[in-house]
Amino acid sequence: MTHPEDASPPGPPPSSGSGALRLQARILESESLPAAHHRLLLRAPQIVPRAQPGQFLHIWCHPPDEIERPPCAAILRRPYSIARLVPPEEVEILFRVRGTGGRLLAAKAVGDSLDVIGPLGRGFSISPDLRVAIVVAGGVGLAPAPFLVGRLVETRARVILLAGAETDDKIPFRVDRPRPGRATLPDLEALGAEVTFASESVEGILITAVAEARFGELPEENAAMFAIGPRAMLRRLAEVTGTHIPLQVSLEERMACGLGACRSCVVPTTGQSGYQTVCRDGPVFDASEIDWERLTS
Amino acid sequence: MSTPDLTVRIGAMTMKNPVMIASGIFGYGDEFRGLADYGDLGALVLKTITPEPRPGNPPAHRTVETPGGMLNAIGLENVGLEAFVRDKLPAALEYGTNIIASIAGDTPEQFADCARALDGSEVAAIEMNISCPNVKKGGMAFGVDAEASAEVTAAARAATRKPIIPKLTPNVTDIAAVAVACEKAGADAVSLINTFSAMAIDVETRRPLLAAGTGGLSGPAIRPAAVCRVYQVAQAVNVPVIGMGGIWNASDALEFIIAGASAVAVGTALYADPSVAHRVLAGIRGYLERHAIESIEHLVGSLQL
Repeated sequence: MTHPEDASPPGPPPSSGSGALRLQARILESESLPAAHHRLLLRAPQIVPRAQPGQFLHIWCHPPDEIERPPCAAILRRPYSIARLVPPEEVEILFRVRGTGGRLLAAKAVGDSLDVIGPLGRGFSISPDLRVAIVVAGGVGLAPAPFLVGRLVETRARVILLAGAETDDKIPFRVDRPRPGRATLPDLEALGAEVTFASESVEGILITAVAEARFGELPEENAAMFAIGPRAMLRRLAEVTGTHIPLQVSLEERMACGLGACRSCVVPTTGQSGYQTVCRDGPVFDASEIDWERLTS
Repeated sequence: MSTPDLTVRIGAMTMKNPVMIASGIFGYGDEFRGLADYGDLGALVLKTITPEPRPGNPPAHRTVETPGGMLNAIGLENVGLEAFVRDKLPAALEYGTNIIASIAGDTPEQFADCARALDGSEVAAIEMNISCPNVKKGGMAFGVDAEASAEVTAAARAATRKPIIPKLTPNVTDIAAVAVACEKAGADAVSLINTFSAMAIDVETRRPLLAAGTGGLSGPAIRPAAVCRVYQVAQAVNVPVIGMGGIWNASDALEFIIAGASAVAVGTALYADPSVAHRVLAGIRGYLERHAIESIEHLVGSLQL
């Protein structure tokens, strides 16, 4: 389903405020996935028309009515990438259950509500003239990949998704071959993407090699790469794409406010501006904006 | 009964109610725009600025969550005085309530420079951050010493007619002595507390969880300690005390007021609930009505011993 009003690229963050809403989102589906992943489908009709791939929701992981009582654990919200939109009303998040926030969310029941602020951050910028797009999604980067791939396919570009995880078992949804009990996200191939899945023994290395091997398929103009995943992978891609292939990367960093106020999640950038926030200036950056040497040191 | 009077006066600044947002939490004010009507609040204290821009601590691990709290070691990252006045302050003033600038510097002269530069601005008051635990020079280096606190307060006092409000650190043996020194040096009020010096360690790697090693602890974990400091200071000074430290709801805020705070500020809780200050304000109003207290002033320092 396409949304013509959403076709324009997201561009810079709003000059005033975050443009985000705060709302109560009811959980419509809650599902444990392999490799300690979890999926929640939320009813958030106000988010759907505003969200762009790469943006995130900032979620209070305790029951909404407990916000008046100070919790001992997880006093801060947690950022979750938007994994997928199901217009007109539903938003999906997909996360690894690791810390307190993830455990609290995974324990929710269908019908429970979440206190959500979003959509937040700068998402991917997608040119309507795009002819070929390569998406490289590794490990944690797999969560927002369906949303991005879906939007890219809508531009009628040829979309090549290169998905990587450490092992086959660590991929939480079906990518290139059917797995019983795992086809819970849309089949990305059915969306129209050409999908290659690579499991890696060394994080971030193999998938970049796979990506490099596909560069020849990119035309000189109207080609772009999008990458989400571990920093080592992103840095390698930034090095090999150089200046000849536009590359947007999505970064992760620990956040507190999620709005650009607290300056917790800054990353080193190349411009005069020094540090930029992942939560507001990002999470998506042009690879040329990032000081990779300092980021990965 | 009639609606209780919530008005608070801090020097020449009048606040329509006693609920504020603490410095360092709210950025320069614009970041939260749209999530609540912050113009409803008594005052908004913006992020600390220094005469020149500061990059703050290196990226990564600037904050970490701890039980009932949060450690931060941002390192006073800020755009600097000039860009603040030119680019940030006008948007903050659009909220239509008191905007309080927070200033810091390496020397008393730098505090004076900031205060002087803001004297002609539309800020309602100037908070002096002599309590940041995350910078090597200035910051808490002043606040841990009563004489140095007095010196820097006097320097700012001489540079501006705006109300000046030193913000005190709890990382001292006798916070009341520091407060008294600031009062004598011309402070219109004191605000407290800033964060506690604190540390958390990853036992597997044996490395600190904050890249800077140590930082400042905020959040509900520090609230009882903050109430105690406010009580001690309110006993010792005649100027208004602005209380803060881990306020999460109206009951928390009322503790500070009963202990002697004329006004309160919310901090860390804003990151969980952008409407926390509004919730606190509504709760204070409800409390006054329920207890038939005509004015917030009557509740300040009303602790029964």
